[in-house]
Amino acid sequence: MGRDSFYESLIRRGVSRRDFLKFCTATAATLGLSSSFVPKIAEALEKKQRPSVVWIHLSECTGDSESVLRATKPTIGQIVLDVISLDYHETIMAPSGHAAEKSLKDVVKNLKGKYIAVFEGAVPLKDGGIYCCVGGRSAIDIAKEVAGNAMANIAVGNCACFGGLPAASPNPTGAVGIREAVGGTVVNIPGCPMNVENFTATIVHFLTFGSLPALDSLGRPLFAFGKLIHNNCERRPHFDAGQFVRKWGDEGHRIGWCLYEMGCKGPMAYHNCPTIRWNEGVSWPVQAGHPCIACATPNNWDAAYPFYRRLEGIPGVGVQSSADKIGLGIAVAAAAGVAAHAAIRAASKGKSDSGKE
Amino acid sequence: MAKIVVDPMTRIEGHMRIEAQVEGGKIVDAWVSGTMFRGLELILKDRDPRDVWTFLSRI
Repeated sequence: MGRDSFYESLIRRGVSRRDFLKFCTATAATLGLSSSFVPKIAEALEKKQRPSVVWIHLSECTGDSESVLRATKPTIGQIVLDVISLDYHETIMAPSGHAAEKSLKDVVKNLKGKYIAVFEGAVPLKDGGIYCCVGGRSAIDIAKEVAGNAMANIAVGNCACFGGLPAASPNPTGAVGIREAVGGTVVNIPGCPMNVENFTATIVHFLTFGSLPALDSLGRPLFAFGKLIHNNCERRPHFDAGQFVRKWGDEGHRIGWCLYEMGCKGPMAYHNCPTIRWNEGVSWPVQAGHPCIACATPNNWDAAYPFYRRLEGIPGVGVQSSADKIGLGIAVAAAAGVAAHAAIRAASKGKSDSGKE
Repeated sequence: MAKIVVDPMTRIEGHMRIEAQVEGGKIVDAWVSGTMFRGLELILKDRDPRDVWTFLSRI
């Protein structure tokens, strides 16, 4: 293929050895590997050719591409774009029309079984697949061909993984995720959008170990989707202490109390947002004061909906009973109120009204 | 009389097809099509207005 390695392409662009090793260390951390794996990752990236990647846009908003393109610091931005050889990507490629389609055909034909296919967006199946067409071909047609000839398939964002936004009730276009549309093994990196750190880490894992990372039953890498947001949330102590935001802009909201009562879906969402965060670790939705909408959960647009209504039936609400016993003044009063509220809500399930606050 | 078709139109967000009618080296007519439809209007029907921004920020 005559491609240079990832490391060589970085050096050519003036990235220092130090920055390269920092990247390897950060990626090892994201993958949940100890620092002893850093040399192995570095060695793989130094020697291996960059994999050819085609990025297919289907029914989507390009949010996941934005996530990739906005990869923060200049050096890390280069790293993210250089770790792969991006041979087809509608939003950033120079050619249009026939020339663009030729690039895709060339990769599928000449690198059969050697390229990585990344899918962004759902596949609308209704009415013969007419609701998303590129170059006169339906999304399902393109997905089958590109996925069928790839070495590995990665779905990025909730739409490509599980149908996502277009599949929200009543799913007007019959949208489904890539795995459901084409079958076979697909690595699902959900999120709305997906976090680029998880994408890069997946690719690096592939380059380093020659295999895809361990996946959960939904095809999601365990390193990124193995833990509940609720259990890693920096506001968790406030949940346990019964300190809840009750109203937007109230005292609790200003000082960072738990957003559970405002509809936070952290207790049902598996994602590593609290640990890797976004925009180079600057923040994430809950830190910024907004409830989690479980964007990496299948069917979140209905399953986690309405977003501003308190999630019911959370194991762990009972944690407050211990706080009761300890006796923490006002916190106990709040906690007892929550426990009572939960009991009432459980009894009157289906007649919820707490969203009116 | 020739017709030029550019599909996909790249370096934009979304999917677009352009057709242009050319006569004597000049474009005399042109058609632009959005080739993706998700039906967000239908999805938003009967939903809580406070939640709408979360859907529509994904346009």
